[in-house]
Amino acid sequence: MRRLRKIKIDHNSEFELDLAPLLAVMVKLVPVLLVSSAFVQMMVIETELPQVVSEAIQKQEQTEKPTLISLEMVSDQGMRLVVTKNGVEKEEMVPLKEGHFDYPTLHLKLIALKQANPEVFKIEINPDAKVPYNDVVKALDEARQAHDKNIRFPVYDSKQGKNVETQYMFPEVVFTNMMEG
Amino acid sequence: MSRRRRFELPTKKNSTFTLNITSMTDMFTIMLVFLLQSYTISDVEMVPVSGVRLPTSSSMVNPTESLKLSISKDALMMDKLKIADIKDADFLVSDLEEKDTNFIKPLFAELEKLSKEGGEKKFIKEGKILLQADRDLPYGVLRKVMYTASMAGFPQLKLVTMVGE
Repeated sequence: MRRLRKIKIDHNSEFELDLAPLLAVMVKLVPVLLVSSAFVQMMVIETELPQVVSEAIQKQEQTEKPTLISLEMVSDQGMRLVVTKNGVEKEEMVPLKEGHFDYPTLHLKLIALKQANPEVFKIEINPDAKVPYNDVVKALDEARQAHDKNIRFPVYDSKQGKNVETQYMFPEVVFTNMMEG
Repeated sequence: MSRRRRFELPTKKNSTFTLNITSMTDMFTIMLVFLLQSYTISDVEMVPVSGVRLPTSSSMVNPTESLKLSISKDALMMDKLKIADIKDADFLVSDLEEKDTNFIKPLFAELEKLSKEGGEKKFIKEGKILLQADRDLPYGVLRKVMYTASMAGFPQLKLVTMVGE
C-alpha cells in the first residue's frame, strides 16, 4: 500500500498580517471624521431641566407671593443678594476680594439660600453696565447648580408623591435690568 | 594595461518589495481615536467668530438652530453681515436712538426686515438668537443688543460659551 505523505508543519514559523485593508478603511474614515469634528466645543447657557424641576418652577410661578432672589453685581463694590420673602427684604453682601468678584463665597451663600428656600428655582440678575460679560457668565455658573455632587436639594415629585433630590439650585435666570434705561 | 572591472552588487532587475505599513497603521489608529473624541453630533454648526473670545462655562447644552449674532470689540455682526461699529466698548452715538440710548437702530431695522422676509423659518418665528460675545465686553453693550432684539420680536436669547471650567 502506498503511504500517505505527511504535511510538514513548522510550528515555529512566523507570518505577517496583511494590514492593507485595515489601512484602506482608516484612510476613508479619517477624512470623514476630519470634516465633522469640532475642535472648539461651544455650548449655550440654557439648562435643560429635568421634568421634576420644571414642574417645581411652574408651581413657583403660580404662587401668589413667591420668594424672590435677586443678585446685583456692582463692579466697584461686589455682589448683593436680596431675598424677598413674604414681603420682607433681606440683604447679604459679597464684597470684592482683591479687586475681583468673590465667586466661592457667592456659591456658599447661594447654597445656604437654596437650602432655606428649596422651592425657589428662579434668580433675577442685575449686573451694572460696567461688569464684564465674563463675570456675568461666571455668576450664572455659580447659581445654576451645586459644584459639590454630595450637596443635593429636595424637590417634590407629584408623580411619585415624594421628595426627590436634585443638584440644581437656580437654573432659571432672568436679566431684570434689561429694559431699564 | 589591464583594466580593472568595477564591482557590482548582485541585484534582481524584476524583483518586487513589500512596503511595511505597520507604523502607518499605528499613526492612523491614533488619529482615528483623536478624531472620534472630537466628533460632534450637534444639529447646528457653530463657527467661532474671529476676534471674539468666548467666556467659559460649565453648561453642556448643545445650541439649536437660531439666528446668529456676534459682538466683538469692533463690531456687531449678524452671521457675516456687519450691523454696527463698536468703539471704546460702546456703540457709536449715530447708531443709537436719541431718546432711548439702549436702542440700536441698524440692528432693529435688520431684525425687522428678517422677520418680514424670512418668516417661514421656525427659529425666526419663535424669535431665537444665539449670541456670541467677547468675554471682555461690558454688560452694557450686551444689554443694548438684548433690549433691541426683544423689541424686534426676538426674545429667546441664548448665550454661547466655550466648554470648560
